[in-house]
Amino acid sequence: MTRTAEASLVAGACLLAVLGVTMVNLASGGTVDAQAALTGLVFAVTFFGLLITVRILAPAASPHLLPLVAFLAAIGFMEIYRLGAERAGQQRWWWLIAFVISTVTLAVLRRASLALLRRYRYLLFALALGLMLLPLLPLSSGLPLRGWEANGSRLWVLLDLGFTELHFQPGELAKLAFVIFLASYLAERGTGLTAARHVGKVPFPDPRQLVPLLVVWAGSLFILIAQRDLGASLLLFAVFVVMLYAATGRAVYLGVGATLFTAGAFAVWRIFDHVQVRVDAWLHPFSNYDGAGYQIAQGLFALGTGSLSGAGPGLGRPDLIPNAHTDFIFAAIGEELGLAGSVAVLVAFALLVGVGFGIALRARDRFRKLLATGLATVLAVQTLLIVGGVLRLFPLTGITLPFMSYGGSALVGNLLAVVLLAQISHEERI
Amino acid sequence: MNGPIRRLIRTVMALFVVLVLAATYVQAVAAEGYRSDPRNQRTAIARVGKERGLIATADGTVLARSVAESEGSQLFVRQYPEGPAFSHVVGYASRLFGDEGLERTYADELRSRRDVTISDVIAALVGGDLRPRSVMLTIDPDVQRTAFDALEGQTGAVVAIDPESGGVIALVSSPSFVAENLLDADAAEAYAKLVESKKEPLANRATRRNYPPASTFKTLILAAAIEEGKVTPASEYQDFATYRLPGSSAVMRNFDGERCGTDDQVSVESAYINSCNTVFAQVGIDTGAEAIGEMAAALGFGADFEFALPVGDSTFPTDELARDPAALAQSSIGERDVRVTPLQMAMLAATIANDGIVMRPYLVDQLFDADGKTVRAFEPNLLGEAMSPATASVIAEMMERVVTEGTGYRAGIPGVRVAGKTGTSEQGDPGSHVWFIGFAPVERPTIAVAVVVENGGAVGEGATGARVAAPIAAQVIAEWLENRS
Repeated sequence: MTRTAEASLVAGACLLAVLGVTMVNLASGGTVDAQAALTGLVFAVTFFGLLITVRILAPAASPHLLPLVAFLAAIGFMEIYRLGAERAGQQRWWWLIAFVISTVTLAVLRRASLALLRRYRYLLFALALGLMLLPLLPLSSGLPLRGWEANGSRLWVLLDLGFTELHFQPGELAKLAFVIFLASYLAERGTGLTAARHVGKVPFPDPRQLVPLLVVWAGSLFILIAQRDLGASLLLFAVFVVMLYAATGRAVYLGVGATLFTAGAFAVWRIFDHVQVRVDAWLHPFSNYDGAGYQIAQGLFALGTGSLSGAGPGLGRPDLIPNAHTDFIFAAIGEELGLAGSVAVLVAFALLVGVGFGIALRARDRFRKLLATGLATVLAVQTLLIVGGVLRLFPLTGITLPFMSYGGSALVGNLLAVVLLAQISHEERI
Repeated sequence: MNGPIRRLIRTVMALFVVLVLAATYVQAVAAEGYRSDPRNQRTAIARVGKERGLIATADGTVLARSVAESEGSQLFVRQYPEGPAFSHVVGYASRLFGDEGLERTYADELRSRRDVTISDVIAALVGGDLRPRSVMLTIDPDVQRTAFDALEGQTGAVVAIDPESGGVIALVSSPSFVAENLLDADAAEAYAKLVESKKEPLANRATRRNYPPASTFKTLILAAAIEEGKVTPASEYQDFATYRLPGSSAVMRNFDGERCGTDDQVSVESAYINSCNTVFAQVGIDTGAEAIGEMAAALGFGADFEFALPVGDSTFPTDELARDPAALAQSSIGERDVRVTPLQMAMLAATIANDGIVMRPYLVDQLFDADGKTVRAFEPNLLGEAMSPATASVIAEMMERVVTEGTGYRAGIPGVRVAGKTGTSEQGDPGSHVWFIGFAPVERPTIAVAVVVENGGAVGEGATGARVAAPIAAQVIAEWLENRS
């Protein structure tokens, strides 16, 4: 794909965002207005800004990443706007912030290359741990930085600046730091993990090598219990097991990982009420309609009513779904754009993840390969978990749909993942 | 290391395929269940939508309107204030079951341009008029109501046309339904009931159903025969009580199984007035399938005359009947292979009333924009000339005698010269499908009517067009003439 093609696809996505906002306006009696203009402006600044930044700082980077991200962003933004203009305004600011942070990141990597990240892996690991534990800060204290709870999960941090309060989810950045640490660690130590002891004829990983696996397993269960965040817990564990597998080529890690997680999850399910409630809501959303099943049932109603071609932007009732703008953005899109829209979004995600893995295949060294694999996996697992949850393939895990759900920290984290993928693909060619 | 990554790609892609399949299941396979779930509030609020234009008649009767859900709201509730008599014409605009009737045909005009199509977005960008348009009908609401009431819930249809212009005065199908129920909270249930009902209340019998026309078809045979020069009203035919069909052992009888007259010979005029089957079988064979088929085509059979509602086929299979005289004989009395819609039969009556000139029937008179300015006016349209004025006037005379001294006496209205023809089909079980077609006043016709009642209506077994259908036509004609004076 040429750079011209990339630019025209990005331009198309920006136009799509403006059209989407205009359609929502038309549906509610409005017309082309400042919202449409602002959206066009922010999308143009963000994506053409990124396009130019990448061309200057990482000119050999894959041209496939940005158009896909811009497309998903446009569809997602239209739906966020449809669900509330105020939040859409905040989301526009987040896009600009994510653009600035991405640009700074690319500029730093331009000078130091990814080797920088590799070198400071333990610092990054400490950072990841710290970020993950941040929400456990006391909920009320005199400190400007406090933990904050929403929807029964301790995932947020509140930064009280006196004049305004900022909420963010440090976990969204922690997952990136964690992936970089793992890539670096496994690039060096990974070969040792392929050594195996045989119990009878069954090859079994060296117990000493299993220790990190068990540590991460315990850590993820801790997140599940302490922060009540099934999604982050699953994501963390899945990414770890997948990277371990990529580094060693030994499928036994996948099996052991799956078994460990299943056992852990089962134990947690037996012990904790709120997990049981979630599983019940998944198994029987309609008999729990007046309680925990309401959200899943509403999501299914929305998707079913949307049917093949959808109600049209602004013409469905996705506002009836609790948290339609975050966890259930996929159901909202399915209601208003129909199966056609749902499938388009899924295909775009599959392509994006495919491009990510493709970068991993072509990357120069173990570190870059593992990093790209980890980043692609982070994007893939988030999408699979939340869409699978909304479609009732498995219990709902509170996690956002990359680039589409409302929320700033997730946006920054996911855009950084894409920027890192771009940098890897760039370095592979220089 | 690329081996495991390749396997990961395959696994992840397979998982995405699973998601697409799951989405397809939820949004296509299981969608109907979710959509119609009583707890799905979307069903209840489906009645609320964007503003649509008015559907109204020339006298200002509103048949469909959008009312803001609450003051200043951009959400509107669609109302059909005139009820079931108009349901098949007006139809409904349902987000659950789609649009029907004029709501469907004129959906593009009636809908607000504040919609989701690219052309609307462009219109918004260039500052075009985004407001919905309104539709004005040719229907006379009083005659429409009278026709619906006259059917008294019997299964059937009434179509009335202004013969000179082709404008539809009334178009009624019975049984009907309350269109607003299809927009209500329990719309899904109401719709399911209507779909399952054996009486098929959703079907528009006036335009879409076709029936054997029975003896009313003799009018068309007569027109073809006279135009071909095969007969005159005075032509004499053998007056059989029973008639052996050519090349067949089957026998055709007159309605009562008797001869029509008292002599061996009977005139075509007398045979028409008394509806003699055996004579018209002979007239049909003498005239030939081709000539009859041409007449049928000239009257609109098999033609696409772009009516505002979907029209069923009216058929006369010329080629097959040309090869099969027995079938032609039976078809000549409107049985066997002939099928007609009530609309088509109203066109036949209107053509006789209009000196043989066929007018294209039309239902929509004008389209208005939101300022009340006419954006489009529909002019009467010629479909063709089916017969000479002389032929038309000869048949009109005979049709008048059907009412004054023949089977159509129940269509008579004191002080008005009414012309008509009854029909009682051999088909329909139990009870015949019965017909009346006619027009009035004979000296200067202003209305042509076709009435059909399935299975003899309330009378059932033994019903005739004369007894069941003719009085309905009389009520419709009387209401129309009274309104105009």
